[in-house]
Amino acid sequence: MEANNDVALDIIITNVVSVFRTRCHLNLRTIALEGSNVIYKPEVGKVLMKLRKPRITASIWSSGKIICTGATSEEEAKLGARRLARCLQKLGFKVKFTAFKVVNVLAVCTMPFHIHLIQFTKNNRPIASYEPELHPAASYRIKNLKATVQVFSTGSITVTGPNVRHVAMAVEQIYPLLFECKSTMR
Amino acid sequence: MSSRVCKTCGCTDIDIDQARGNAVCMGCGSVLEDNIIVSEVTFVENSGGGSSAVGQFVASDGTGKTPVLGSGFHTTLGKESRAQTLLNGKRQINHLGHQLQLNQHCLDTAFNFFKMAVCKHLTRGRKMAHVVAACLYLVCRTEGTPHMLLDLSDLLQVNVYILGRTFLLLARELCINAPAIDPCLYIPRFAHMLEFGEKNHEVSMTALRLLQRMKRDWMHTGRRPSGLCGAALLVAARMHEFRRTVKEVISVVKVCEATLRKRLTEFEDTPTSQLTIDEFMRVDLEQECDPPSFTAGQRKLRLQQLEHELAKKIDEVQGEICSYQDEIELELESSRPKLKGPYASYAREDSSDDSVSVASGLPGNEDDADEELKAAAQQLTKDFYSELMPGAGEASRAEEGSEAESEQVVLPRYPPLASLLGPLPTAASLGLSESIQKCITEKDVDGNSENGELDLKGIDDDEIERYILNEKEVKIKTELWMQQNADYLKEQKEKEERIAKEKELGIYKEQKPKRPPKKREPIRASTAGEAIEKMLEQKKISSKINYDVLRDLDKKGSSPGAQPEETPSSPGGRKLSGRRKRNMAALGLGNPISSVGKRLRPLISAHVGKKPASSQQAAKASAAVVTAETSQPVVVESGPVVYEDAMEEEEEEEEEPCVSAMQLMGGNDYGCDVDDDDGL
Repeated sequence: MEANNDVALDIIITNVVSVFRTRCHLNLRTIALEGSNVIYKPEVGKVLMKLRKPRITASIWSSGKIICTGATSEEEAKLGARRLARCLQKLGFKVKFTAFKVVNVLAVCTMPFHIHLIQFTKNNRPIASYEPELHPAASYRIKNLKATVQVFSTGSITVTGPNVRHVAMAVEQIYPLLFECKSTMR
Repeated sequence: MSSRVCKTCGCTDIDIDQARGNAVCMGCGSVLEDNIIVSEVTFVENSGGGSSAVGQFVASDGTGKTPVLGSGFHTTLGKESRAQTLLNGKRQINHLGHQLQLNQHCLDTAFNFFKMAVCKHLTRGRKMAHVVAACLYLVCRTEGTPHMLLDLSDLLQVNVYILGRTFLLLARELCINAPAIDPCLYIPRFAHMLEFGEKNHEVSMTALRLLQRMKRDWMHTGRRPSGLCGAALLVAARMHEFRRTVKEVISVVKVCEATLRKRLTEFEDTPTSQLTIDEFMRVDLEQECDPPSFTAGQRKLRLQQLEHELAKKIDEVQGEICSYQDEIELELESSRPKLKGPYASYAREDSSDDSVSVASGLPGNEDDADEELKAAAQQLTKDFYSELMPGAGEASRAEEGSEAESEQVVLPRYPPLASLLGPLPTAASLGLSESIQKCITEKDVDGNSENGELDLKGIDDDEIERYILNEKEVKIKTELWMQQNADYLKEQKEKEERIAKEKELGIYKEQKPKRPPKKREPIRASTAGEAIEKMLEQKKISSKINYDVLRDLDKKGSSPGAQPEETPSSPGGRKLSGRRKRNMAALGLGNPISSVGKRLRPLISAHVGKKPASSQQAAKASAAVVTAETSQPVVVESGPVVYEDAMEEEEEEEEEPCVSAMQLMGGNDYGCDVDDDDGL
């Protein structure tokens, strides 16, 4: 879609959340005592392990389900997840790397103009909602993409969606709507 | 009731009498039907003398099944669940609405919203209070009343964001578009609360103008309307010579001081603020301002540009400094003492392939990790060298300072610096080169496993090994962790023991849910002593307390211990009588209790000693006898009974650490009793 002709919009992915399963029971205490960068939370029943490269934080449960957050791209998320599994393997567990899925992608984008939120909300009545008492941004939910876009009056938007492609599509979809309600050029 | 043919005479003329419930043949007079069931509304007389209709109303939209009246005997007698919900909701709406001073029309509208919500099953899984509040707020928004969501959350003591979530959901499900809040709506309300007296209207008008100005200057998008109102009102008040402090305004408007100040500064930045009061009232500036975030953005841009220029300048200066450093280094080299020991060979061998390895280690792209590693490595070297060679240390420190500034130092810098600093623990020597190479040249893998096998491509085992601690470290960590989490581990162990024990006994109950605490009846007692006794019965605190002593504590003056001991002749009978009389003494109100607190501990501790309690009790018995006359005859039925048990247990008493009665009984109770008695 030729939504942005003159200026290329930079969509910066800031966070990718993914899950995978190791299909084996993990002893959290062993991980906690033998890993060098772990935080053990026995009350909740999980271990947080942080990798330096790629910068990822993983929540590990004893059932073998693991959630990885903090990656900056889908590939990085997968790499980090695999590294983590390798690390657990070395600790002595018979891990398998199954059911890897990227669950959530958070991206940030800045429009080159400011946005009149009240007008934007009026134009997109049921889909967009703006409550200045609660949150300074107007939130726009795209049902078919299952993505949510939060629009700030400065022109920055944050998009969350199930994967990067959906996020890109969401930005393309919302650009014309925002362009209608722009207020000042930067 | 079809008219039939009479059986006896064949006549078709049948008279049906509704009142009697008969069907009689007109011809022969034979009764064809008796006790006909009629479906008319009947009335019965109730206790008040009025009459009410018999039967239940069944709504056309409901299920029509009536609840059994056996167990649930509520005031909403015989109504089905939906009607009950609606009735309950209506009651709550009215209650809240009256607190907000909403008129009846609004309340009715709110009730309509509520009915819609119930039909769409939005009340399921949500607190009724939240849904009710959301309905009310929806009405407020559609009608444009100056009620904030904060007001509702104040009334309900619920987090405003939770209410907001429910409200948004409701608005979306009911497809009701609530118009956006205009801060101008709040001005009259806040102005009224700030009590401007006669000039209320003028101040409001001024504040309104200010607000409109703010809107045109783009201060209001994305901001809480109450904050803007607060700022406008503050300025308006000052303009009309009312001294309203910031604190007063924020207590009315419910924002924090920082927010208000920020709004005021933003307003100050607009050209409108430069006008005088008169001018402002008359003139409306044409030009519009940029939003404050926009100006902030511009400022950031400018700062960035400045930094860029500065960086360039630093580069130039850097060059000069480096040349000076070169000279200094040369001088130092010549005067440097020879290196001895293991480091000497290290230094010599590294310096040769120094620049080469460093250059190779960075094939062009600077990862952040690389920079960090380099910086770390350099730091290490510097520390290391500053010990060996204080002279060189100064130079390297000076260098480091300039290096820190120029973060944008270009790649070609590295080889010369390395040679300047002398032997550098390179990536190779630190064993990191492999991992660095891997990081840089890593490509991603796809086509992963459906069978669950871990694809090891691109994963560097060495680095991962580093994530795993070796044995010694594991031991240390284990110790530390055990120490830190000792409490938690203890709890877990106790829990397990408990479960094991219960399993043995066969009464192991899985997941004991919390039973609601037993409600105790409030103690009714006419005197403090009586209250103490009753409370002690209920609580059953300890078998080791000498309850005698406790009862004696509200007795005055005569210290029982010092009295001459009249050992009772017959311990058994005498004890009882003594006790009874002691009870009465304990209940005596004339005794001051101020000395109780001091005497508590010594009495208890003395009592808890090895000496049998009997002698003391004897003494007390005697004391009790002495003061019995002053006491009022109040009969305490349960006293002696409880006492016996306590007494017997006390006879077998063991050594026990001194616990004060205060602690045993829970300080509060006792304190209360003490206070009561003081007054009397």
